[in-house]
Amino acid sequence: MATTAPPVSGRRLISDSELPNVPRAGVRLPAVRDFEQVDRDITSVLHPTAAWLLMLLVAVGMLALGISAWMYQIYAGVGVAGYHPPVMWAVYIVCFVFWIGIGHAGTLISAILYLFRAGFRTSIYRASEVMTVFAVMTAGLFPILHLGRPWKFFWLIPYPHWRLIWPNFKSPLVWDVFAVSTYLTISVTFLFIGLIPDLAVLRDREINPIRKRIFGVLSLGWRNSDREWRHFARAYLFLAALATPLVLSVHSVVSFDFAMALTPGWHATIFPPYFVAGAIFSGLGMVFTIIIPLRRFFRLEHYITLNDLDAAAKMCLFTSLVVASAYLSEFFVAWFGGDAVDQAFFWNRVFGQWWWAAWIMLICNCVLPLSLFSQRLRRNMIWLFILSLFINLGMWFERFVIIVPSLSHEFEPWQWSGYSPTWVDISILIGSFGWFFMWFLLFVRQLPILAITEVKEILPPRRRSPAKVGKLSGAGAGAGGVA
Amino acid sequence: MQGVVGAFWEVDATLAAVEEGKRHRYGDITVFMPTPDHDVQAALEEGPSPVRLYTLIGGLCGVTFGYWIAVYTSIYWPLVVGGKAFAAWIPFTIIGFELMVLIGGLSTVLGLFINARLPKLQMTVGYDPRFSGAEYGIYVACGADRARDVEAALRRNGAAEVRIAA
Repeated sequence: MATTAPPVSGRRLISDSELPNVPRAGVRLPAVRDFEQVDRDITSVLHPTAAWLLMLLVAVGMLALGISAWMYQIYAGVGVAGYHPPVMWAVYIVCFVFWIGIGHAGTLISAILYLFRAGFRTSIYRASEVMTVFAVMTAGLFPILHLGRPWKFFWLIPYPHWRLIWPNFKSPLVWDVFAVSTYLTISVTFLFIGLIPDLAVLRDREINPIRKRIFGVLSLGWRNSDREWRHFARAYLFLAALATPLVLSVHSVVSFDFAMALTPGWHATIFPPYFVAGAIFSGLGMVFTIIIPLRRFFRLEHYITLNDLDAAAKMCLFTSLVVASAYLSEFFVAWFGGDAVDQAFFWNRVFGQWWWAAWIMLICNCVLPLSLFSQRLRRNMIWLFILSLFINLGMWFERFVIIVPSLSHEFEPWQWSGYSPTWVDISILIGSFGWFFMWFLLFVRQLPILAITEVKEILPPRRRSPAKVGKLSGAGAGAGGVA
Repeated sequence: MQGVVGAFWEVDATLAAVEEGKRHRYGDITVFMPTPDHDVQAALEEGPSPVRLYTLIGGLCGVTFGYWIAVYTSIYWPLVVGGKAFAAWIPFTIIGFELMVLIGGLSTVLGLFINARLPKLQMTVGYDPRFSGAEYGIYVACGADRARDVEAALRRNGAAEVRIAA
């Protein structure tokens, strides 16, 4: 006998690409049923595993390599880092700009998209915010490493001194100190304030008395009361509002380190927006590098949905186009401006001495991201992950292309030079990735990588069934009569 | 402080209980919610949070201090740098802006802590760990003479559990 019943698709395993976790109106996370499931799923990953421990050991090993190289540099002097005149800024400053840039996407996702009420940020913002804090912590090390005498770094901080000497507040390097330290402070504050309600959830679910006590202290005795929520919402909104112009200012200030100099390739008014767009682009690349494996290994596919990553990929594509247009306008201004030095510099950058670095930059940052015009590729996690690695590579080389070729090809031909990094630079670069991933790995197994409270907020709250409402209202009428 | 606490599974039941509590003026109501709910907060008739004032005052102090320290130190040891005036307002705007954000942000946190009474060093009467999970809680501060009425009201509106808290 023929039947018209539809086939049951739930009987077989369906991959993400076949059946996206598609939200409907009012239901953003269709595979998440209730608040208990959110608590259970997110807290269930908070325990160490062998694979996690192995990755942590690798990160610590990389960090140890970096620390060893730094110790050697302190002993032997900063000359071992491959610097020689006129190239006195190289890998350390490249890494400084790179890591600061990585942090920017985190603030974009956590603060700017919060102000715009972009729903897709909910599932990815905590990881991005954590990435911001650790990236800025990493970036802050590089100017200190670059000093050669790191113990003198406090000379940049304004404090009353018996010789009456104060920092030069007209110097971009002092602006950097203020911008980066403010950025780190506000990022840490924003992360911690957002974590407080989640820490209360962990405290209330924890059985181990020591961990319970630690979570109790960290959550500051948060009780989820209406008074707390009222002030929390307002404070969070204002912190987001303060972080938004801050994120734009920080990379603008970083770009001033270059744009204030008369060096060809640096002295350009386009630098602040160009740097900010590049920073957000590189940060989004790192977000994908982190989120995609996290989503898979922690089995969080029903929280970090394909739609969320698709939306983030569209932002990535947009920022890639902005960055590409900035590159093109640099070339255009050099050609149209008719300045022979500028023209020679840009020719040397793309077709001369540094062609290989410039083409890595152009292909990784401008050509490969064009694939994101395809929805199929935007929703293909393997391609998105591979692309994110290329973006990281391309954006590191973008900073290299800005810094090293400019210094090696200034106005005087007799001064033109080359640069090759030494094992010390490379080891410290590797160490910076070890430092970053060590903190990140420690975080993901101790604290919630998804914002428990905000995920609950996008779930429809439990409501009474109509039958129960009718029954209660009948009982209410009776009770009211008695009262 | 003595009172009655009720645990609810549903947000609309919580809202109904809050509305009834406000209508009959049983006593001060505290609602514990796993996530903030605008309807419940509106029913509690709370005014705007004063945290905004802390942000404003902190931001103004920060920007003032930023400009002041840059100008003061430049004039204190007058040395022409880059052909700019001693009190060059354009470069000093960066210092002023960064300190406005820094002090404004930290003042916002201070405002949150003062107004939300954080950190709490003692147990809160009426709080139950379930209220950070999936359940809603209503604590009504009232004397023993009204406890029975409050208990009846909470049950009438769908409380899954009601108890006297002290």
